[in-house]
Amino acid sequence: MFRARQKLIFLLIASVCWSGFCNRASAEESASPGQKIYQKLCLDCHGEQGQGVESVYPQPLIGDLSVNELTTYIEKTMPEGEPEKCVGEDASAVAGYIHEAFYSITAQARNRKARIDLARLTVPQYQNSVTDLVQSFTWRRSLGDKRGLEADYFKSRRRNRENQVLERTDGRVDFDFGEKPAFLADLIAKEEEARKAAADKEDKEDEEKKEKDEDPPVQEEYSVTWNGSLYAPETGEYVLNLKTENSGRLWFNTERDPLIDARVKSGDQTDYTTTIKMQAGRLYSLRLEYFKNKTEKTGFVQLRWKRPHQTEEVIAERYLIPENSPWSLVVETPFPPDDKSVGYERGTSVSQEWNNATTFAAIEVADKVLKRINELAKLPKEEDKHAEHLRQFCEDFAERAFRRPLSEEETQLYIDRQFDQAENPLTAVKRVIILTLKSPRFLFPGAAEQDFDDFRVAEWLALALWDSIPDEQLFQAAAQGNLSSREQIESQVQRMLRDDRARVKLQGFFHQWLNVDHFHDLSKSNELYPGYDAKLLSDLRTSLDLFLERVVLQDDSDYRNLLTSTEYPLNRKLAEYYGMPQPSGEDFEFVSFEPESRAGLLTHPFLLTGLAYDDASSPIHRGVFLSRSLLGRFLKPPPEAVAPLPVDLHPDMTTRERVAMQTSSATCMACHGMINQLGFTLENFDAVGRFRQQEHGKPVNSLGLYLDRDGEKAELEGARGLADYLISSDAAHNAFVEQMFQYLNKQPIQAFAPKTLQKLRSEFEDSGFHIRKLMGNIALESVLVARKLEQAEN
Amino acid sequence: MNPTSRREFLKHFGLGAATLPFLGNLPSLGFAGSSERKQRLVVMFSPNGIVPKNFWPDEEGTDFKLKPIMSPLADYQDRMLVLKGVCDKIRGDGDSHMRGMGCLLTGTELFPGNIQGGSHTPAGWASGHSIDQEIKRYLQSSPDSQTRFGSLEFGVVVPERADTWTRMVYSGPNQPVAPIDDPYQMFSKLYGQLKDRESLKSILDELQTDLGKIRQLVSVEDRKLLDEQASFVRDMERELQQENPAEVGHKVPELEPGIQDTNDNMPKISKMQIDLMINSFQADFSRIATLQFTNSVGQARMRWLGVEEGHHQLSHEPDDNDDAQDKLTKINTWYAEQLAYLVKRLDETPEPGGTGSMLDNTQIVWTNELGKGNSHTLNDIPFVLIGGGCDFNTGRSLKFDRVPHNRLLMSFAHGFGHHIEQFGNPDYCGDGPLSLS
Repeated sequence: MFRARQKLIFLLIASVCWSGFCNRASAEESASPGQKIYQKLCLDCHGEQGQGVESVYPQPLIGDLSVNELTTYIEKTMPEGEPEKCVGEDASAVAGYIHEAFYSITAQARNRKARIDLARLTVPQYQNSVTDLVQSFTWRRSLGDKRGLEADYFKSRRRNRENQVLERTDGRVDFDFGEKPAFLADLIAKEEEARKAAADKEDKEDEEKKEKDEDPPVQEEYSVTWNGSLYAPETGEYVLNLKTENSGRLWFNTERDPLIDARVKSGDQTDYTTTIKMQAGRLYSLRLEYFKNKTEKTGFVQLRWKRPHQTEEVIAERYLIPENSPWSLVVETPFPPDDKSVGYERGTSVSQEWNNATTFAAIEVADKVLKRINELAKLPKEEDKHAEHLRQFCEDFAERAFRRPLSEEETQLYIDRQFDQAENPLTAVKRVIILTLKSPRFLFPGAAEQDFDDFRVAEWLALALWDSIPDEQLFQAAAQGNLSSREQIESQVQRMLRDDRARVKLQGFFHQWLNVDHFHDLSKSNELYPGYDAKLLSDLRTSLDLFLERVVLQDDSDYRNLLTSTEYPLNRKLAEYYGMPQPSGEDFEFVSFEPESRAGLLTHPFLLTGLAYDDASSPIHRGVFLSRSLLGRFLKPPPEAVAPLPVDLHPDMTTRERVAMQTSSATCMACHGMINQLGFTLENFDAVGRFRQQEHGKPVNSLGLYLDRDGEKAELEGARGLADYLISSDAAHNAFVEQMFQYLNKQPIQAFAPKTLQKLRSEFEDSGFHIRKLMGNIALESVLVARKLEQAEN
Repeated sequence: MNPTSRREFLKHFGLGAATLPFLGNLPSLGFAGSSERKQRLVVMFSPNGIVPKNFWPDEEGTDFKLKPIMSPLADYQDRMLVLKGVCDKIRGDGDSHMRGMGCLLTGTELFPGNIQGGSHTPAGWASGHSIDQEIKRYLQSSPDSQTRFGSLEFGVVVPERADTWTRMVYSGPNQPVAPIDDPYQMFSKLYGQLKDRESLKSILDELQTDLGKIRQLVSVEDRKLLDEQASFVRDMERELQQENPAEVGHKVPELEPGIQDTNDNMPKISKMQIDLMINSFQADFSRIATLQFTNSVGQARMRWLGVEEGHHQLSHEPDDNDDAQDKLTKINTWYAEQLAYLVKRLDETPEPGGTGSMLDNTQIVWTNELGKGNSHTLNDIPFVLIGGGCDFNTGRSLKFDRVPHNRLLMSFAHGFGHHIEQFGNPDYCGDGPLSLS
């Protein structure tokens, strides 16, 4: 999205505004000097409480400039057209007044009424809930530590014990067996020896006869099977590709029909692809049968995939596990995207499209469940007992979907009526499933609950940590009344944090925090950046994910490492491009990467590349990202869209000089004073994230000045100076905590007790900035506060 | 895991699918019909060659006598064209059964591959698309002849494996199309949406009741969200209750429940599939259909005729084995009976929105992958044409001098007004389509 030069970018202007309402200073007499000036000079355009005036200036006055910055801004620009009317002490007084009354973050927080809105399930919550709901009738496999696939090698197309020559775990399916596969080397050698011995012994006349009697060479026909599961790191469409010169079949997420049937080798086709949807954090059983035929000279097989946003590649070992998994339902019905207008997805609105999607998805799930009803409802052989089992299945299904036991009345409505009215039990099952998945009890968590009881606590935790429904243990804890005390809840939280689903949710948070989904498909100027291609970009994305994953999963799970670590995962292609020594293996390896200049994710080449143009770095994009995501600063959209100055118009200027020139006006500088300065600290990195000391023959200046909300000034020297500042900045820690809080709960932190953020931040600091502990604390703290608020209301 | 087998699944689903209530006013799920004439093509396939002496009429021209195998079709002799001397001349990879099947409707070679037949070289899939798909594309390209599915591929007891012997329809090179041999699956493809509408209708009351109740439980601020949701549900209810003005005016077929996909159920499945095909034509879901009985080398055991041996095995017996000849005649006569049922149904059904019967507008082609089972010849491939779909001059027995079957395939396209100059291997398209009108 930041790609094309000709595209307009938004130059961001600092808002002069914070919403909220003032402490009603009702009497004119008690009004402060600042308030009096405001009422005289500002009120006509900005309204009594800075809320704006429809026909004049409708935007509310909210923002996070310091009083001094605000003063300067008012002196230079306000009132509009006559800035000389309000300068010096007047400007300072009015700035002080609006800052305190409604403009600043604290004023806004103070004035806001704490409220947790009713919300529907977000799309990921819907998908995960349904998958877990159905899987609760079988079992779940977690990722564990083992990697690779179980492989059985056979010296024949017949796959039996007698023909088995090798059993091992393969890291990946990527084999060029050639004419004489290595796994048959011993047998081939033996055979050749025997043949030689026979030839020496026998007469020449017998040769012809011998050739006829002889068994065909062992390498003529063989087969291999690989078994295990595939881990999907992201939700989306995947292309699976069985690439072989020979033939094979691939079963995926089912033991029934193969997903890819390439038993018929036809022509020179070697790629057998299919597109399927997978869900992040899920394991799908996989079985590949591979055959090499007599008629084929050589053997070659690869199992490849194309992940969402990435290029095709052989499936790496870290996504394969040598154990099978149960069937996992994937909701394929497309849903409209969730509202993300406040910076994180939330379910506080419904639409016709969303309602339709829930209808189609309910039908889809019902159909898929019915296809496997024997297994899911554990139907016995005796057909006369089926109705009873199916009924029980439906009760369990509804209970788990509603995240609490059914009342008698609900059982009557959701179960009994369906079984009474449908012409047979299977039709009743279909109706129960559709009705359950369309029910507000499923779609709107908390809607049907009068008290914040233990089931509500379980539901809250499951949504916050997993985006899903409670598992059996959590549900049982609620049923037994074991989710009341802080300690009880905390012990469940600890358990839940270890689950794959928590890991996926945290990964989702990072993707959102870093905005990565906004900058895939980035291409760069071939002329300036030869060798930069889609594959490189794809590998960079993988590298960033691996980087984040390592920091998070390390014992200390230290937020500061995110910003300061200089160990980056590189594979051969990346190492070559960025001029690092080649790793030894095929896969990514962590290496120390320019430790004197780089600083964690701030200088990860994927981010630097994403926050750049196709032919130049972009201090503005980088600065906006740093302001918003890292420092939690509030930026309003720019007043007008402005195209960036083309590089070739000023070929002798550095990027810094060009950006400074374009944003030099007072209006621009209100925001760009902060944005540019932050962005400049990363100017040592070009549009593809390579380190540079010079640009257009001039030395790069990577010094940035930052004024925090309290007006404190900091000098930031390059990326490492920036990182050092961030890891010790309370504001940065607050920003991280707040954004994670909102991502986990899908509710604004302001809706919770005013001290919640402060408490979480100080716990975060006390824990040595432990990311996983923070996640647990957020879940724990939010559910306790929400329960307290609700109880206070009743 | 305890995976349900396809058969168990079918058995269960038979119940659900088949007990669908009769619906008088069925909303059309197809495209709105047009006033243009609806031409259709049905290709019916039966395997392993025929018994020439009991199949081919001795006479040429309009005055000919039907032999025993064709006797079930006696009522429709005047609507029939029997074409002898049409040969599948495609050579190259694959044995006769494979080429017989894979080149039958494609008229082009098989790719080399790894599927080893009884003789010749191993082969893969056909290197081109089949004539039914060619005509489908032609019809789908025009709004007047476009239909919901374009083509439907029916099967009867086709083995559950994808190889050169089990596929005759190709949408492109290396792209075989699997026939659906499970009538319940076909039913679901044709009428699934309708069933879903029924399920939805049945739960709406409960849903609205509960929404109303929950609405009372939430705070005033939160009520707005649920009210919006309730209004969407009401919209859905209205939409579901609306009568669709574009009715097709045909009954949703009622399938006998629980018929398993087994050899012995072949007669029942055959009838179910033919009935579904007629329904799909009435609804104008499709104008192209194929009906594939078993597969090339098919081993149907027609115990209901007193034939215990497998069809393919019998077809290898020499001509002087009278018992085998007799049984093969019975088997082929049974296939002719299936064809006769299809023809009769079409003949009895008035053309929806048109004049005459559906048979007047439908071109049926009965064919086979071999001329004769024990010789594996690809000469004299049986081609029996019935119906008026291509406006051929019917009521005749014709004998050609070994013309390549590509020319006949072209005739079908031309019959639809689709004047292609070649189809499949161009070497066999010289002299253009066979003139049959």
